Order: sequence, then C-alpha cells, then structure tokens
Amino acid sequence: MKKKATVAEEPVEMAPSEEEEEEEDSEAPVKAKRSKPDEEVVYQPVKLSRSDLYRPPTAEELSQLKETESLFHCSLLKMQMEELLREVALSEHRRQQIDSFTQTVTELLQAVPDSPEVEVSDLSWLSGAVKIPFLLMPKVTKGKFHMAPPASVDLIGSYPLGTCTKPRIVVDLAVTIPADVLHPKDILNQRYPRKRALYLAGLAQYLASSSDIGAMRYSCLHGNRLRPVLLLTPPDSSSFTVRVHACPPPGFFKPSRFHPQRNNIRTEWYTGLQTSQSDSSEPPTPHYNSSVLGDLLPRAHLQFLSAVSSQCSAFAKGVALLKVWLRQRELDQGTGCFNGFLASMLLAYLLTTHRISNTMTAYQLLRNSLNFLASADLTVNGISLAKDPDSTAPPLAEFHSAFQVVFVDPSGHLNMCADMTACTYKQLQHEASVSMQFWDNPSVDGFHSLLMTPKPMIRTSDHVFQLCELVKLQSSCKKLNLLSELMDHSGNYVHAALPFILSLLQQGLGQRVHLLTHSLSPDPEWSVESEAPKHKAQPPLAFGLLLRQELAASVLERGPPADSPKAAEFRQLWGSRSELRRFQDSAITEAVLWDGESMCQKRLVPKQIVTHLLRLHADIPESCVRYVGAMVDDVIKTGSEVPSTGEEVSLLVVQAYDDLSRKLWKLEGLPLSITAVQGAHPALRYTQVFPPQPLKMDYSFFDKEKTSRSLVPKEGKPCPTYITPITMICHMEGSGKWPHDRLAIRHIRAAFHINLGELLKKQHNYTCRPCPTHLDVWKDGLAFRIQVAYHREPQVLRESVNAEGLLVVRDNEEAQALEMATIHKPLLTSTLHGLQQEHPCFGSVCRLVKRWLGAQLFSADITEDTADLLVASLFLQPAPFTSPGSPQVGFLRFLHLLSSFDWRNNPLIVNLNNQLTATDYTEIKNDFMASRESLPVMFIATPKDKKLSMWTKRAPSVQMLQRAVMVAAESLKILERQLMDGSQTQDVRVVMRPPLDAYDVLIHLNPKQVPLLGQAVDCPAVTFSRGVKTGSVAQSGGALPVIDYNPVTLYLAELREAFGDLALFSCDPYGGTVIAVLWKPKAFVSMPFKTSQVSARSVEVTGEEVNTVPNVEAILEDFQVMGKGLVKSVEARTEKWMV
Amino acid sequence: MAPSKKRHASDQTCVIPGGFTVLPLQFSADSAAQHDLYVKEHKVRAATGSHRPLDRTLFVLNVPPYCSQATVRELFSRFGGVQSVELRDHPGSFQESGPELTEFFKPAEKKGFKVGYVVFQSASSLAAAKSHPHDVPLVVCTEGRPVRTGVQKWIQQYAESFIQPEELQRMVDSFLEDYDKRKVEAEERQKKEAEQQEEDDEGWVKVTRGHNGAKARPHSEAANRRTLQKEIRKKKRKELINFYTWQHKNTQKEHIAELRKKFEEDKQRIALLRAQRKFRPY
Repeated sequence: MKKKATVAEEPVEMAPSEEEEEEEDSEAPVKAKRSKPDEEVVYQPVKLSRSDLYRPPTAEELSQLKETESLFHCSLLKMQMEELLREVALSEHRRQQIDSFTQTVTELLQAVPDSPEVEVSDLSWLSGAVKIPFLLMPKVTKGKFHMAPPASVDLIGSYPLGTCTKPRIVVDLAVTIPADVLHPKDILNQRYPRKRALYLAGLAQYLASSSDIGAMRYSCLHGNRLRPVLLLTPPDSSSFTVRVHACPPPGFFKPSRFHPQRNNIRTEWYTGLQTSQSDSSEPPTPHYNSSVLGDLLPRAHLQFLSAVSSQCSAFAKGVALLKVWLRQRELDQGTGCFNGFLASMLLAYLLTTHRISNTMTAYQLLRNSLNFLASADLTVNGISLAKDPDSTAPPLAEFHSAFQVVFVDPSGHLNMCADMTACTYKQLQHEASVSMQFWDNPSVDGFHSLLMTPKPMIRTSDHVFQLCELVKLQSSCKKLNLLSELMDHSGNYVHAALPFILSLLQQGLGQRVHLLTHSLSPDPEWSVESEAPKHKAQPPLAFGLLLRQELAASVLERGPPADSPKAAEFRQLWGSRSELRRFQDSAITEAVLWDGESMCQKRLVPKQIVTHLLRLHADIPESCVRYVGAMVDDVIKTGSEVPSTGEEVSLLVVQAYDDLSRKLWKLEGLPLSITAVQGAHPALRYTQVFPPQPLKMDYSFFDKEKTSRSLVPKEGKPCPTYITPITMICHMEGSGKWPHDRLAIRHIRAAFHINLGELLKKQHNYTCRPCPTHLDVWKDGLAFRIQVAYHREPQVLRESVNAEGLLVVRDNEEAQALEMATIHKPLLTSTLHGLQQEHPCFGSVCRLVKRWLGAQLFSADITEDTADLLVASLFLQPAPFTSPGSPQVGFLRFLHLLSSFDWRNNPLIVNLNNQLTATDYTEIKNDFMASRESLPVMFIATPKDKKLSMWTKRAPSVQMLQRAVMVAAESLKILERQLMDGSQTQDVRVVMRPPLDAYDVLIHLNPKQVPLLGQAVDCPAVTFSRGVKTGSVAQSGGALPVIDYNPVTLYLAELREAFGDLALFSCDPYGGTVIAVLWKPKAFVSMPFKTSQVSARSVEVTGEEVNTVPNVEAILEDFQVMGKGLVKSVEARTEKWMV
Repeated sequence: MAPSKKRHASDQTCVIPGGFTVLPLQFSADSAAQHDLYVKEHKVRAATGSHRPLDRTLFVLNVPPYCSQATVRELFSRFGGVQSVELRDHPGSFQESGPELTEFFKPAEKKGFKVGYVVFQSASSLAAAKSHPHDVPLVVCTEGRPVRTGVQKWIQQYAESFIQPEELQRMVDSFLEDYDKRKVEAEERQKKEAEQQEEDDEGWVKVTRGHNGAKARPHSEAANRRTLQKEIRKKKRKELINFYTWQHKNTQKEHIAELRKKFEEDKQRIALLRAQRKFRPY
C-alpha cells in the first residue's frame, strides 16, 4: 500500500521540471541552451526552516524518506542513467516530425513511374544530374533493368523498434524492388547490387523534382560499397535523416546460395581474363554473399527484435544505454562496427538464452551485456541466434573459417559481424572488461567514466600511427597475393588488406602491446549529383597501440634458437633484420636488435617495428606511415649527440642524491644524529622539466669572492648558466637540548649547517657554503641545498603566551610554510618517486605538462606540486582509460582533465598509495560540499590532506583557473587535430605559444641576461657562452659556482612585491624573454587618499576631496629602472587601456 | 594626473587636503616620469619612545622600492642634518620585540613601496622639507651618488650574501650565550614572583597541591579545553537519555528532521546536475 503511494507521488514531484524541459526543447535550439552560462547554479547547503523540519510527518512521507535513505547511494548511478536516457530519447515533437516526413516520402515513392527496360550497363535513361552510387568495376555485367514503383515501403531498424536515440537520428526505410525487375540469377557477379544501385538512382531522380525533400545524398551501409543507401532530409531542418534501402522481395533469393563457402563472383568475369578454372575451384566469396543476404532479412530481424522487446520492458532503454556506451568508444560507426543493431541483437541473444531476465532494468541489462562481452570471445566461440536452423544453414565452424568474428542471425544463414575484424572485437572486449572493473569501484565516478567520457583513439592509445596514402594498399594486396579477397570485397583493397596487415602487426609487436586497435573507416557520404568516391578517398587509416610498459621499450627481440624449426619462421618475419646472436647465458638464438640509446629513442622501438614490417611485407614505404607516438616530446628534448628527454639525467641526479644522503648518514662527529634525509625537489621525483645537468665551470668567466674563493657573476658578461639548487631536508634527532624558542632554533639550525659543511668538507672534500637557512653543497657538478629541520619547530612557531599568561596554540602562516617545506614536500616527493617506479612515463608526463603550463604563463598559478598531483591522478585513476603509457597520451589526458573537470562542484581526489577507502571518499565529498565557498577553487584532496587542499590554497584564483581551463580546452582541440591530421602545416609547438594579445604591457627582456634561454619553446636565434666548459665533471672540490642566480626570477619577485596589487606578472620560467603584465580590473579605480594605500599612486584634488590613481607613467618607468640591464624594452599597449 | 594642474604654479609648495606636502621624486635627472612623495610631520596621540621625536620627525609616504635607507637619508639631507631614517612596509608604531638580530637572521624584507620616518637633527629642517617647492624634484640617482638597480644590484646582492662560516658561527654563539643568559634571568624572575605570591597581605599562605611551581590551574589552552571537556563528559554521564517520553519523542523528531534534510539535499544534488546538463553525453 505504502509503496504505491510513493510511486504515485513521485511523478507529481518530477512533473514541473519535465514540463520545463519540454518547453525549452521546443523554444530554443539545442546549441543556445548549451552556451547558457550555468555559473549561477551552485550547490548550496540546504537550509530548511524549523517549522519545515519539525512538522509532523505523514505515513507516505515517512516511507519515502526511509527509502531514499537506504537506496540513495546504490541507486545514484541508476538515477543518473535515467536522466541520461531522458537526454538521448526522442521527444514527442520530433517523433511527429519524423512520422509525417516518412509518410510524405512513402507516398512519393509509391508514385514512381515505370520506365522502359534497358541493359543494366546502359545508364542513358538516367537523365538529369543524378549519378549511380556504385563503382562500376568491372564495367559491364549482364542483365536487364527498368524502373517500377516499389512493391512496398516499410519502416525498419531502430525507429520502429523504439531504440532510436539522439544525436544522429537515422530512420531506416526499406523499399522493396518489385520482383519483375530482378532475376533469381542476379546474385551472380554483382548484378543484383548494381540493379539495387540503379533503382536507388532512379528513386533519387524522381524525388529530386519534389519540393518536400531537402538535400539528397548517397552513402553506403557500414562503408560497404555494394550496399548504397539514399539519405533524405526534410527541406527545413536536418535534425534527422531518412535512410532509404532498396531490398529484394522477401524470399526472392534462396538463402542457401549464400553459404560462406559458395562463390558468387566468377574470376573470369572479375579479371576479364579467360581462365580454365572450373566452377568448383572458384574461391569462396563470403563477404559478398553476406552483403547480399543482409538485404534479404531486415524485415525478419525487425519482427524478431519486436517480439523480444515486447517481452522485456526495459529493452529499448538497455539498447539506448549500450549505444551511448559504444558511441563514447567510437565503436558504433564505420566499417565493421558494433552498431546499435548488433547491440539490440546481443541483448536479444542474452534474453533468449536466459542470461538476463525479462524483468531486469536498463541498468542491469547494460551491466550484464558488458559482462558477457568481457567474458565471451566471439572470435573463437561464435554465437548464434538461430533456434532450429534448417538443414541448409551452415554450421558455426564454417562461419569461423570464413569470418573473424561470428554472430549468426535468427535465420542461421547470416553472420552479422561479417565485416568486423578480430582487433575490433578485442577492443570491444577490452573496453567491456575495463568498464566492469571500475563499475563497482566506489572511488570512481562510475556513471561519468562509463557513459559520459568520450574516448577518442588519440587519447586512448599510447601510440597511434596512420597509413596516409591508401592507394599504396593496392600494391600490398598484390604483394600479399590477395586476389580472391579483393574479389570478395569487390575491389575494396583497403578492407581486403586490413585483416592481413593487422595480423602481421600483431605478430611483430607480440608481447609489446596489450591491444592493437584500428579506426573504423567512416561511411562515405556524397551528393547524388557526383560520382561515387574512389576507395582511396577514404581518410587515413589510424592504428592505436596500447603498450605493455615493461616490454614495449626493449631494444631486443629474442627469437628461437638457431637450430629450432621456428627459426625459419622468425627469419621470414623479420627478414634481413634477423641475425644470429650469442647471449650471456651462452644460448645462440635468432634475434633482432633495434636502435635506441636514450629512453626517448627506445620508446619509439614500436615505430621501427611497424615501419620495418610494413615495408618488408606489405610494400608500404616509410613515408606513408605517419607515426604519432612522441611528437610532443620534442619540447622537452635536450642533449646534443644523443637526443634525450631527460630520463637519463634525472637518474643521474637521483643517484648523486642517494650518494650524498648515504654520506650524510655516515658522517661522524655530529652532536645529534640524523633521523631522516628526504628529497624535496621535483628533480628527485623525475618531474623536473629540465633536470639539472652536471656542469663544469669555466673559472675565467666569473669574478671571485675574496675570502671563500666562490664564483660571482661578472658585470658586463652574459648571465651565467643557472644552477638549480636541489633541495633536501635533513631531519635532526629530537633532544632536550633543542631550545624552545623560535629564534634560538633558527640559530641552532645555522650552527648545524656550519657543522655539516665542515664535516662534508673534511671527510669528502665537497665545497660547501653554509647560510643561516641552508647549506649548499657542490657535488658531481650538481648543487644540493640541505636544510636542517627539527620536527617540533612548527609547534614552537604556533605557540605563544597571551596577556593572561595562558599558552595559546594558534596556526599561522610561518608554521604552515615550514611544515610545507619540511614535511609535506618531502613526503610528496617520495610518494611520487614511488609512482614513477610503477609507471615509467609518469615523470615525462609531468614534465610535458609543466612545460606547457610554463609556456602558457600559468607557472605561478598551477604550481609544480599541483601539476604533479594532477598528473598523478591520471595514473591512479585512469578510468575509463588505462594508465597512460606514453608521455604524449598522458599530456593529452591532462589537458582533458583540466578542461573538463567540474572544479566548482567536485573535489579531485588523488588516492596516493591507495590509502583512501570508500568512506573517506564520501567524507571528503561531504566536507567539500558543506564548505564549498571557503575552499580553494581548485580543490585537490590527498590521503594526508582531506579537508584543506593545501597545495592549491594560494593559487590558482578563480579567474586564472577559468583561463587555464579555456586555454587547455583550446590546446587540446588544436593538438588533437594536429596529431591526427597529417595535412596540418604548423608544428605541434603551436600549443606552447601563448596568445600575448590579451596582455596590457609586455616587458621584453635582454636574451643575454636570461640564463635559461636554451630551454625556450622555439630555439633562440643567438646563444651566449654562459661560463660552462665541456669535459668530465669533477666529483668533489673546486670553487663554489654561482648557485640559484636568475635575474628573471629576481626581477619578477621585485615587480610582484612592488606592484602586485595593481597588476599580474607572468613569464615562461623556461627561457621566456617576455614578461606579460595584466592590469587588475580594479587597478584604475580612483580611491580616497589613505596613508596605507598610496603606493605608486598620484593624487587628484577636487575641492576638499582627495583621491588617488596609479601613477602609470612612473610605474612604466619603474619597470625599466628596476630591471636595468635585463629589460630591453617596455611595450605599453595603451590602445587597450586608458589612463 | 591631477597634480599637473598645480604644477604650473612655480615656486609653490603643493599641499593637499589632509596636510600632506607633495614632493616629486624622479630616479635620475633625465627621467621622464615622477613619483610623488607625500610628507607630513609625524603626529601621534600617545607620545611614545624617544626615537621618533614629534617635532623633528617627518612622515614620508610612497617611497619607491629602489630607495634604500641610505638613499633616503641622502635625499633629505638637503633640508638639514638627518639623525635617522626608518623604512617600513606599513605606517604604524615602532615595535621591536625580542633580542637584536644580525642581518643574516632577519626574515627577508619586502621590496615594495615603503613608508619612511625621517628624524632630523633640528626642527627647522622639518619646515624646510614641508615647504619644498613642487617643481623641483628630488633626484635619486645622481653621478655623485649612483644607485644600483637591476642586474648590477642583483650581482651585488649575490656577492654580499656570502658569509664566512667562522663569522656565522660567532653570531650563533653570541646569540645563544645571550639566550641562555636571558633564560636564566627569566627563571629567576619567575621564582621571585612565585615567592612573592606565597604570603599575602594578611599573612595567609595559599596552599597548593604539589610544590615548586606545580600549578593547580591549567596553564595552556589545550589543557584548559581538556578540563572543560572532562566536565562536560561528567555531566553527560549523569544525564538520562530516552528515559522520559518527551525525550524519546524528541529523538524521533530529530531523526525525521535529519532524513528530511538529507532528502532535500539529494534532490538538490540531482536538480543541480540536471540544470548543468551534466547528463548530455555528447
């Protein structure tokens, strides 16, 4: 009783919102709605008045409340799916439009006039501009043809079944060709397909004169050129398309003629050569057969599916969800796709085999079908919908021998997955199993990953390569000896060669890849007035590799022993690259050794394999292979002889650090012992954009400091090379001897710095420079900065005694900064160091990301630590992807994360070391919701920091985050286009060049004084000597070089301190020669004169009122004065702002 | 650029309402633009220490970042002998707590615009400064008195940041010696105070638990809170929960209110997502 009441009440609740939506739908076009700023909608803690909260409850309300309480968490996903279904379902209004249009079309089609009978090859009756949608190759075939009104016109496919979804609404209309146009023998030699094409052309010619129909286009079903279709749209809107199929009358051809082993295209006819082959030795044409057979069955399929769906109430919704899932993974369109029809058939299969029951909800249908896809392998064990096939139906084994993937329709004759490659099915299977993995993971936003995140190939696969000139595949067909396949695919050499190329690559890449995927060539569309496009007009074929991290970069391909029978096979595969090698375990085996010294070269070993195999076996020259694996990596490339992206140098730095920390541990003669030595620098977790290189100094380039013999930059010379101090924290044992006073602790620390320096000098001969705050150590050509820390110091900083003598503990910035430097940063460094060990390309992704942030002038807003955390989240929570396997794909996903994450309403939770549990997640989310307004705009929670988001506390601001999001979205768009489109003329560095026209003042710097000039995105025109010698680096000793001296950062710091409240200053820290200045929006507002607010302002007196405005002329001159020697010019773009 | 209105009147002092005199200042003789210093005699209600004598101290606003203490002293010495110059980030009273620190141990100074207190040797200089004509700007960097900025300055800073370990050690030692001395003094003072408290006016002695400085009253905030919580817990233990009918009813009411609130929250969450079109898959 109660339950019913609840159900009855709910619609009442929902009704107003629904109505609202409908209204919106009909009023405004979709786009306008989307652009509507949804900034105002923000979650706010619910405030209910006392009377609302405490009024006496009714029985219904009580039960409803209880239900929500117990169901909410588990059913949130369900509710979200319901909402999604509402978004993709067709509105009533749209349905009416479709119905009336199909009605019109049907009536028009019924009235097609007859035409006299002609030869099939005679196209003269096609007057007008309409062309035949068929590649006539070979030109002639036998048979007679005439136009006649269709025997019937019916709706088929998803629309009548109710599984049609937005967007790309396609309504299928089957037009039955009258029996007298066809001949039972027409299945031979493309006669029937040609007649069908002619019939469509005839329809098109007739419809062209009608004003009820808008632009007409041809296309072909799933990219199969034998099955052209006519696309019709209403003249006013193009929100849906009617697809006209021409079909033979049901039962016109005998299904047994289309057995996969039968031949229906004669070699003699196809090649035009007289051969002595008898009928029986002709090669089978399974693909041709299934394409003709497919035309015969759509009505039967519709009947079958309607029968199934009428029993299962959630059938249509389940199919819709599955279609959304497939579409996000780019599996639902193109040749050999897993389209909506197959999705319906799959559900029907699961229902008829009782793997799912009729009473299940859409949510359960989706889950079960994904579960089935993940576990069943249709490439080996095909499935069949045929209950009791007649005796002529071929057995599954025959299907398997002819096709790669087998899913037989209810008639038992047709393989519905005829065009699908095994790779596509494997991809489907992979996607399904990944989805199943994160579905139940409470830490992943399942709904979002499952159904809302698009997975384009460039962002999914670690490496991508394209075959550009598809014409070349013709010669591969020749090389691979694929005449019968060509015949079967009626000359479509791309489809004929693809399976062979895929298996070749699969064999060659072997263990290096998890998954090899390829793009599904999209259905071509062309106007009815132009000729059918050639096969080579297809866009390039793209292949994606999902790499296996541990093996992908190995330079050695070890084969079988020389005397084993498999050796010949190995040699055949690799050709001349295969050589006999003797290994350390004294085995002599065949092996292939690829080139590659540095990590960035090794990452491209798959490229070498791909190009080598394609050239050797498929006659595809290297110039046709466009390998998009590491194009973006160029921007972090350094090194002269061996190009390197810095992995090797990073390793060197870490080794030097390890050595130093070991030596610190072993130092003798310290008054207190060391309890921990921790690295606190990005270079020590492999994420420094340009890791510090070991250097040897040229002493003559510098001045000398008199007493300590340290080097000092010389005036007049170019700025010396910048030496990064690599920070490390050295924790000292706690002891009663430590004073309980902040100043005294500071002095004791200084004493420790002196002491450590002396000992390091004495015991290891390192050049040291103690300061009150740190100790610089020059070792192996690297500068280490050691800071001594005392674990109770933050506590001491927080304590103070108030007037009443009470000891008060108050948090303050000083203490926080100290904790950040001595506790949190080292911890983050060691955690991320661990992550790098697990995922070898983590560091490179971080470095690419930070290079981009620097180039786009966001370094000050999204700090290094924040960027590293963001990247870490990509690796820790890759759903719906897998962890990035190349720097490039990681970078693309970072851009996507930054631009698409809902920063306003969601915390980004980075589950470092997997320490957070499901309850922690809800706790973090609830805390976040409760105090959203007071939290940083970019909220990142980690296991050690669940409530405050300490890394993003200071920056970015709302405006800067907004800008970063915008720039990231734009960069992603441009970069993906650049990577996937070989015809782009610009290089990929274009995303690293910031738009400077938004800034008000540009301060151009003198390149001579910019020490990191060599790291600039675009290589500088001039280089300067910066006091560095080549040659081997001394391990210890030598004069202390100039450490941490960078005029640009010094200048920026001074500018920010002096004018920080008036303007924003940004500069690319990696060799940028421009400082971009943006006045703050409120900078020029005049303010009343106050002694605390007159910095850099001039007064305006009106009567007794005194106001102040910024003294811009003087400020611009100050820019010059403060940066004397560094500033080349100050470009004030006064046209943008008025003083 | 309002002051330009006044600038045409030559040989005149520019005084703005509020009593500040405007002194133009430019970096070098050939600079095109000027900053304005706003000066006024130092005035505070409560006369404090002797380092800012009211009649001889000039309060200077808007001192540009490239003017060091020495530069300001030089600039104002044209009005008469300068006794001391003090530059600060904000106007305010002088407060230096704790022991004297050497420059190396001081926290880094901000390099923005400053507020200055210039103490002249005689009061007449103050008047001279205040009546300085508006069209004669003060010049910071002259040939006789070059002021380093930019690269030159940074190189100098870098060179000056070196400190000999021995010297540093000496600083540390002297500070710590001083610190120890202060600590001993403070302890003695405390002891004396404690002794004084022992006997009050009428000869009563307060008896406390323990001896030798052990206190009955909590002396830190944390301890304070702990005691308070202990009290609350004690009270709670004695309280009866869900004993009387009205108590039972109240808990039930609270529970329903809680559920209602949660329901509303969930509804809002979904409504919010819908409003943001978060369900549109493409």
